Amino acid sequence: MEQNNYNYVKAELPKSVGKTGVAFLLVGIVAAILAFVLEPARASFSSLLLFVYLMGLGMCSLFLVALEYLTDAVWSVAFRRISEFMTPLIFIAPLFAIPVLFNMHDVFHWSHGEAVQTDKILQWKSPYLNMSFFLIRFIAIVGIMTLFFYLIIRNSGKQDKNPDQKYTRINVKLAAILIPFFGISITLISIDWLMSLEPHWFSTIFGIYYFAGSLLSAFAVLTLFSVKLKEWKILPDFLGRDHFYNLGAFMFAFVNFWAYIAFSQLLLIWYANIPEETFWFIAKFNGSWKYFSIGLILVQFIIPYAALVSQPSKSNYKRLKIMSVWIIFAHLYDLYWLVMTTFDKNGIVFGWIEIGFIILGIGVVLLLFRFVYAKRNLIPVGDPKLNRCINFHI
Amino acid sequence: MRDYSIEPSVVEGKPTFRQIDELIGAPLEKMPDKKFYIAISITGTMFLTGIICWGLSFYYGTGLWGNNNPVGWGFPIVNFVFWVGIGHAGTLISAILFLFRQRWRNGIARFAEGMTIFAVMTAGIFPLFHTGRPWLAHYLFPLPNDHSLWVNFTSPLLWDVFAVSTYFTVSFIFWYVGLIPDFANLRDRTKNKVKKVIYSITSLGWRASNRHWQHYELVYLILAGFATPLVLSVHTIVSFDFAVSIIPGWHTTIFPPYFVAGAVFSGFAMVQNVLIFVRKVFNYEKIITVDILEKMNKIIILTGSMVGYAYAMEFFIAWYSGNQAESFVFINRAFGDYAWAYWIMVSCNVIFPQLFWIKRIRRNIPIMFIIGVLVNVGMWFERFVITVTSLSRDFLPSSWAYYKPTLIDGGILIGSFGMFFTLLLLFTKSLPVVSIAEIKSVIDGAQPTHHHKEANNGK
Amino acid sequence: MENKKIYSVVGLFDTADEIIHASEKVVENGYKKFDINTPFPVHGLNQAMKLKSSPMGYFALVFGLTGTAIALLTMAFMMTFDYPLNIGGKPLFPLPAFIPVTFEVTVLLASIGTVLALLFVFFKMPHNSHPLHDSNYMKKCTTEKFGVCLEADDEKFNEADAKAFLEKLGAKEIETIYTVKEDVPPIFTKQFIGFLVFTVIVISGATYFVTNKLMFMPPFNWMMDQHRVNVQSVSTFFPDSFSMREKVEGTVPRGFMPEEYKESPDSAGKYLQNPLEYNEKNIALGKKKFLTYCSPCHGNLAKGDSRLKDNFPKPPTLHSKKLKEWTDGRIYHVITFGQGVMPSYAKQVTRQERWAIIQYIRTLQRALNPSEEDFNGAK
Repeated sequence: MEQNNYNYVKAELPKSVGKTGVAFLLVGIVAAILAFVLEPARASFSSLLLFVYLMGLGMCSLFLVALEYLTDAVWSVAFRRISEFMTPLIFIAPLFAIPVLFNMHDVFHWSHGEAVQTDKILQWKSPYLNMSFFLIRFIAIVGIMTLFFYLIIRNSGKQDKNPDQKYTRINVKLAAILIPFFGISITLISIDWLMSLEPHWFSTIFGIYYFAGSLLSAFAVLTLFSVKLKEWKILPDFLGRDHFYNLGAFMFAFVNFWAYIAFSQLLLIWYANIPEETFWFIAKFNGSWKYFSIGLILVQFIIPYAALVSQPSKSNYKRLKIMSVWIIFAHLYDLYWLVMTTFDKNGIVFGWIEIGFIILGIGVVLLLFRFVYAKRNLIPVGDPKLNRCINFHI
Repeated sequence: MRDYSIEPSVVEGKPTFRQIDELIGAPLEKMPDKKFYIAISITGTMFLTGIICWGLSFYYGTGLWGNNNPVGWGFPIVNFVFWVGIGHAGTLISAILFLFRQRWRNGIARFAEGMTIFAVMTAGIFPLFHTGRPWLAHYLFPLPNDHSLWVNFTSPLLWDVFAVSTYFTVSFIFWYVGLIPDFANLRDRTKNKVKKVIYSITSLGWRASNRHWQHYELVYLILAGFATPLVLSVHTIVSFDFAVSIIPGWHTTIFPPYFVAGAVFSGFAMVQNVLIFVRKVFNYEKIITVDILEKMNKIIILTGSMVGYAYAMEFFIAWYSGNQAESFVFINRAFGDYAWAYWIMVSCNVIFPQLFWIKRIRRNIPIMFIIGVLVNVGMWFERFVITVTSLSRDFLPSSWAYYKPTLIDGGILIGSFGMFFTLLLLFTKSLPVVSIAEIKSVIDGAQPTHHHKEANNGK
Repeated sequence: MENKKIYSVVGLFDTADEIIHASEKVVENGYKKFDINTPFPVHGLNQAMKLKSSPMGYFALVFGLTGTAIALLTMAFMMTFDYPLNIGGKPLFPLPAFIPVTFEVTVLLASIGTVLALLFVFFKMPHNSHPLHDSNYMKKCTTEKFGVCLEADDEKFNEADAKAFLEKLGAKEIETIYTVKEDVPPIFTKQFIGFLVFTVIVISGATYFVTNKLMFMPPFNWMMDQHRVNVQSVSTFFPDSFSMREKVEGTVPRGFMPEEYKESPDSAGKYLQNPLEYNEKNIALGKKKFLTYCSPCHGNLAKGDSRLKDNFPKPPTLHSKKLKEWTDGRIYHVITFGQGVMPSYAKQVTRQERWAIIQYIRTLQRALNPSEEDFNGAK
């Protein structure tokens, strides 16, 4: 058994991270409160959007951590903590779902008792789509994911003080058990919070669609923080191009995966042209949404694809920084497209309310990073694979 | 206990390069033994059965099969999807695991790719005969003709023509590019003049020059990069054959990733089954280690669970959609005429592979072999269930019918296995089944010990 | 020894570390034309040899984009322009449905093109007459050793120096490789051309035979021999030996509506109204049909002066007072059921077209005999 000979010295984060975080958070909270007072329906949709974004980000970050343990990946060991820092979103994000729960009738058509009474299909679905079962699922998912978060992240943290391989071993087992729970949870979140916005519509691939986008955004957030930390010279020197190449390659791979899933869903529904499915896409080609929908192809597939396709671009720090920011917003664009088409069927709505919630989200992520960074080590110094990570070469 | 601080060895026992050459070259240098003849006579007989049944179908037409109205897609399509699926594991191992830099794949990639090529060849025969007039099959391609008609590019059946032929071609190129250095190795080791001429031609005069290796490695990477989306696209397009229709049970958006997962699942089971024999017969235990088999079993459980997820999703959404035809089809699958097939499928695909959660079973060769066989049985039945149950119970109850395969159908199925294994047996005796160059590059100590400073200091 | 000249000096090493070290030294020493031969790609050797990065990626890109363009253009040509077909109500350029084939062709061309470029343009293969082939050096390099090859073309090259240099690096089995020039026989000999011609003839003959003859011989022609009854043939099954059967009595086609007032032209004249609007479009339709079906007898201007005049019972003019006074319904009845020698035109001309013809006749009547008002109106 080799001991890690890497000496970790904690560096200070630039003050601007915390300051920006606080400023964004305050502005965001003010905007959100104002929005809920002035336009509760629109604010609920924005809040829902923020919830699904951050929840997906948190869950997929935990998934990335689990993936590293499961696949015995080496290059990612030194990056793992950044993903770990994002995992508390699993129980922070649901805070943004709570205001939605108070405005259920504005958001979810199936929550109206009268509407269900006169609608055969909604009646049929009511054993699944009803308020109490909805809440039970929500609480169960948050609870189970938080439990896994607690167990896995705690073991990872303990290893810093006591570099014992037993923690890795336990985490590998936990990660394996996590995967099925994760799969079910993320599917149910996508069905409950996104698909049931249009309660008559259904698509079996929808859970995977949401997963693909969320994992992409988790990679993008990881990449963005990594590149920024590298710029601030906080990330150790041994993390070089070969390590970053993987981040770029995985972002590229998941851009393709998302496109594959999105295309499969579109093609099958477009081709079969059955009214009960097609209306969902038709609604998304209504008014100015048409340009928004076509833009999605460009924003989340063609541009990132072209930017990351060549081999050198995957390890070019500047390119990675730009593209990770781009992808973070592309995923937002994607979710906005899923959510807001239900709010206003006639055209795009974008104003201070939406911007306010986005700012709130950025503030939450920055402050979360700032606080967890202060409490924990950026490099898992006790991880048995760290030495291999330091020596990693393509 | 596994030590995470050390990179696990891929090849056990640190053999020398010469030992590797001798070990892998041995089957090509020795005359086949008795076991080989026994094996090939069995598979040859199966193949011959198939040839007879194919010949009869060629002469008398597709009326010899059990296909009826409304079940127009019987065994041939089931077998086609099954065999294309088997091929997918090969590309996954050789291309996708290569992109993920899984070094353990080097020991099994060549063999798995060979299986891909033979499986796709086997699969291709079925749609060819299903056209009814195989001798006119060239019209599947857009050839100029007297009627100035073109093929229908919006038909998924045509996409299949392009996908499967592209898949075969690219797999073959990928395989051949990988073989070139090994041909050069064999050329320089053989003492037989005829073989030397053959290997000289096939190696194209490879000189193992690093100025060539540099480009070669990049092209290999690019090919892997192309093969990866390609392999996904092939089974995706196969799934489109079903999913673009409006038949209940066929039209569901999860089909593309679900079919790909299923293909990898069955393919891995098949590769695992065959490798168990190969490592035993040719003494490759140190190259194709139990660790590798264990990793394959992990992938089997993963993809098996994905398939299980898809089953559950289909069932749930069939109910959730409130669509009566959909709900009926799924209840009919589980409790109707073909319930036996459905439960074979569920138990073999979802339940038995879960045994691989237990480490001891993952590493136990007889048990993993049995589970692998069951997985393939299950996956064959999956295609059967999808194809037959939905067609036999479509929208019009007046045209419902029960599908029963004929003896000819069975003969063709047996023949397809015969063809596949015969080709595989010939392969083991004519080409190196483990990539010599690739396996040498992952022996402990083969690569230089790194000097950190140089490579990693980009801006 | 004119045919023999030095190609290179070579030496072998045992491990990957040694070869990396050796290649760094060779580069330091200023050798430009040298090569390293290894049984497998060694990590870090490209940097040690200071090789430029490989341009193969651009080839893949160019070939791939060519494939994309070819696929899309071909499909657009065939499906949208050359033979447009409505398939499932999809647009004539259904982009989503074109994507799978586009993708496949892109991958196909990119893979084939890149590999062919690699093997035949970059490596200039097949090349089995290289001086290194069959040397002890090559045999070791493709199997178990790592070799350095200093080529004689290099400006710095000097056999003795090169050998000493390799020895200093610790190389083993140092030797000199010679290029041996052999007289290569010309490829296009008479025999070879004859063989080519023979192959061409055999292949084209076989193709011709299979596609044009074989398919028409038994048993391959069984598709032509079908158990169906041909038209106009004698039936052995039906007692009246007609193979073409009469329709069952009372059979009407889909959407059939019986004509009213069959036997009573007066009622038709009284009750039937022209349902068409009197406009340019309908008149144009009427003109077209009139010139096709009516003008052969009644004449182009309906004056009863067609080329059939005097060869046939004289067709009447349609400008008579009787005709002018007839209602549209009355004329309709004549077209539908015939009158005198004139047969029914119900099968040739649809109802709508009949009404349009009547409109055209009215137009002709008015045009040839304009009233005062018409002239005043014209002013």
